[in-house]
Amino acid sequence: MLRMRSLLPPLLFTLAYAVVSLGVTNSYYQLILTLVPVWSVFGLSWNLLSGYTGLISFGHAAFFGIGAYATALGQIYFDISPWLLIPVAAMLGGIAGLLIGFPTFRLQGHYFALAMLAYPLAILYVFEWLGFQEVTLPIKRDAPIAYMQFADPHFYTLLGLALMLATIVLTQVIERSRFGMALLAIKQNEAAAEAAGINTLAWKLRAIILSGAIAAAIGGFYAQVLLVVTPQSVFGMLVSAQALTVAMFGGVGTVWGPVIGSVILIPLAEILHAEAGARIPGIQGVIFGIAIVCVILLAPEGLFWKLRDLLRKRRAPKPTIDVTPEAAAANITALKPVARQRAAKGEVMLEVKNLSRSFGGLKAVQDVSFKLHKNEILGIIGPNGAGKTTLFNLLNGFLKPSQGEVLIDGRNMSGQRPHVICEAGIGRTFQVMRPFLRMSILDNVVVGAYVRARTDDEARKMAADAVARVGLSAVADRLAGELSTKELRLMELARAIAGQPRILLLDETLAGLGHGEADEVVAVIQQLARDGMTIAIIEHTMQAMVRLVDRFLVLDHGAVITEGLPEVVTRDSRVVEAYLGKKWAGHAAN
Amino acid sequence: MNKTSKGLSRRTVLSGAAAVGLAGVARAQAPAEIKVGLIVPLSGIYTRPGQVMKMGAEMGIEHINAQGGIKALGGAKLKLVVIDCGDTTEKAKNAAQRMVAQEPDLVAATGAYLSSFTLAVTEVTERAELPVLTLSYSDLLTDRGFKYIFQTAATASRQSELGLPTLMKLAENASGKKPKTVAMLMDNTATSVATAKALKERLFAQEGLQLVVEEVWTPPLSDATPLIQKVRSAKPDLLLFMPNAVSDAKLGLEKISEFGLGQGKIPTVSFSITIAEPDMLQSVSPETVQGIMTIVANWGSKGHEALIAELKAKYKEPWMTQNVISTYGDMWLMKEALEKAGKADRNAVAQAFRTMDAGPSKYYPGGQLKFDEKGRRVDAGVVIVQWQSGVPVTVYPPELAQAQPFWPKKS
Repeated sequence: MLRMRSLLPPLLFTLAYAVVSLGVTNSYYQLILTLVPVWSVFGLSWNLLSGYTGLISFGHAAFFGIGAYATALGQIYFDISPWLLIPVAAMLGGIAGLLIGFPTFRLQGHYFALAMLAYPLAILYVFEWLGFQEVTLPIKRDAPIAYMQFADPHFYTLLGLALMLATIVLTQVIERSRFGMALLAIKQNEAAAEAAGINTLAWKLRAIILSGAIAAAIGGFYAQVLLVVTPQSVFGMLVSAQALTVAMFGGVGTVWGPVIGSVILIPLAEILHAEAGARIPGIQGVIFGIAIVCVILLAPEGLFWKLRDLLRKRRAPKPTIDVTPEAAAANITALKPVARQRAAKGEVMLEVKNLSRSFGGLKAVQDVSFKLHKNEILGIIGPNGAGKTTLFNLLNGFLKPSQGEVLIDGRNMSGQRPHVICEAGIGRTFQVMRPFLRMSILDNVVVGAYVRARTDDEARKMAADAVARVGLSAVADRLAGELSTKELRLMELARAIAGQPRILLLDETLAGLGHGEADEVVAVIQQLARDGMTIAIIEHTMQAMVRLVDRFLVLDHGAVITEGLPEVVTRDSRVVEAYLGKKWAGHAAN
Repeated sequence: MNKTSKGLSRRTVLSGAAAVGLAGVARAQAPAEIKVGLIVPLSGIYTRPGQVMKMGAEMGIEHINAQGGIKALGGAKLKLVVIDCGDTTEKAKNAAQRMVAQEPDLVAATGAYLSSFTLAVTEVTERAELPVLTLSYSDLLTDRGFKYIFQTAATASRQSELGLPTLMKLAENASGKKPKTVAMLMDNTATSVATAKALKERLFAQEGLQLVVEEVWTPPLSDATPLIQKVRSAKPDLLLFMPNAVSDAKLGLEKISEFGLGQGKIPTVSFSITIAEPDMLQSVSPETVQGIMTIVANWGSKGHEALIAELKAKYKEPWMTQNVISTYGDMWLMKEALEKAGKADRNAVAQAFRTMDAGPSKYYPGGQLKFDEKGRRVDAGVVIVQWQSGVPVTVYPPELAQAQPFWPKKS
């Protein structure tokens, strides 16, 4: 049912487009109608990698050009039909994606974008050096259809449309699956994604392979339309830029963005070229550039999102927005803080032995050892810079310890990648929240569930369960962007427990919350502990912590000062001194 | 025709409006206007050559119409349709498609400057059966088995075949000895690569030249120092310097001058019109380029004096490059074909080009106004141009030469 409903718009769009195309007899307009699906598929391939993962690629021309040249050279030197060569080109594009992705994914942000920029430029010179400055497809007068050379230009448009429909459907399927969720998670926060059990490198590689394959296939088809292949026309900067332009104009990270972008921009550029350019040559570029700048200024995320936001605003009836938070609040207050029986020391879940980590001369964590017992809440406290977050980063694999061991169920896991540690049963939240603002609460939480779930349905069920446990069921369908800080904290908590960890690391979960709000979150955490979760929590707010935790571990300057029961630790003069200075240590002793 | 115009004049007295209507009828019966296309870059980085080609086309059309239009078609006038092919292969292809779709009554066209653009344009025009004349000289253009492309210039490989031996003779006559060593500095554009291929595979050996330095750059050239240093240490008898962008040419020549190799210390020869473009003088002094020669497919020469003067007066162009004279000649060639075809029909015009044998050519160097089965002009020749006192003048072949060549002597 859901599948069919999502299939309908692309099918209708393709059909309408085909009808329009069949009605056009002017061969020039037909060529423009052919180029629209070409550039939208190229935009979609870019979107698949860069739109969803947020790793901007300035070098998609590399794949496009490889496809175009494979298709052209295969015909010239081996007399193979493009019907066969385009799939081969897709394979080559995929391989290129793997070869390019593997080293380049070590880089992030701007560095990744710049490195990607280099590939097509380098390949461009290779093809020039090989003597392929100008390659023309051999004209096949005797068997044109077998070589994809149609006298009737409608066929090119229909073929382009078929490729576009296939790419749209593929993108939609990916968008809704674990694959798409993983990519989105990477876009929001790669570290958090790793912590949620997502093998980010593997998913990114899959994305670039698929993206490269699609780009190469459409590059091959483009060669067939253009009939002449030159390095500049398929590897040039303008080609890479075209993918970015249509996607950014139409909307990044959505299947419709690149389609909208090319449906508007490609004919616009041509009309300007034909009409304005005939009067004042060169003016077309100026108008086109200004148009793009204006749209980007008004709708920085692209037309699609702007339109959707406008529609939502108009459609959303006010009352529902008012009602839901109340319902949610009611749900949460039901879980009153309850004084907890101190957990008897059960089996050891996590043992840390002599853990150290230094950054240059700074010993952020030195020689820390402690044990975390089943079903206990351990509070890790200490003044700013005491090394609390660094300790967490060592525990869940973001950082490799310089020394020492982290034993989970007796197995040494120190130095493992975060997603491996997550699979071993450690979940965590972050001091700085990184929700996926455009997604609903439930979708946000699903990301965390995939580490345990085998199927998409199972993941949804686990996510719904996690949302219920933190008391957000009533608002599960609202967008994360509309939530309060408290709700976001609870959502983060739900994401962390959706993967059913046995140990939960909470990094300043109460930060930024008011008094009453903090109590509500504390209640949820206590409930989790009652349900059998083992929790380590970093926190500044002593008051809330004293009521929450079973035991304290106090850090200062990266080393353990003391550990023990709350009432003992809070009276310890070393702890007071660490927090308040020597002067107050004396007061505390009295 | 006669009858119609008689009726027309009678009715003109009666009603102006009716006259307008009838004039339309008259035009439909025997076209008073025949459209020919010019598809060249008028936006982007190749705008300048496109504009210059347009000057040539406009002058050609003006002259033909002033001299009575197409006589075989009752004095029908030519009308130029100008189409901007932009600065990329894709834009050129789109523009060509627009040309054949929106201008169905074109009978012929010329274009499109860069051979990559001409390749894309002619892929479209071939399928639309529109004959296209071109001054682009890539061999590939006429190696595709196309039937509607006609190349008026000698192909790149042919140009080097014709040019190098002539150059060697020139050197021998002027300096008394044949050059023995040669250095070659080239960019990696399609034309340079094609020329270099012919040179290296056959011509150097044939002329007994030893290649001592070979350097290739990708435009734009950022620093010519390492290239020229190699030339200075190798001290070749001849330097082939083959840039295709004015900025590259400028950098190279300035460095040659700076290293004290200019002014004929090492005779320098090029293979494209870039080095003789009027733009060059905006960036280098006449002394820097003095004596430099280039082998080109066409140039304003002896017998074109009136044309050159008109170009100067009308468009302020100091001299006539290949782009002007070839495009000007293309208009006359189209007229010739229309006269022969006797009707304003693109297929008839194409057939006229194929079967044409109109004697020696006036606006292209050497050979005949006749095309072989590939669409190459039979016996198309080359022109050698030399910078002399701030003007590139034709020095070879003798029948076209505006001045005597001088071979720079080694001091």
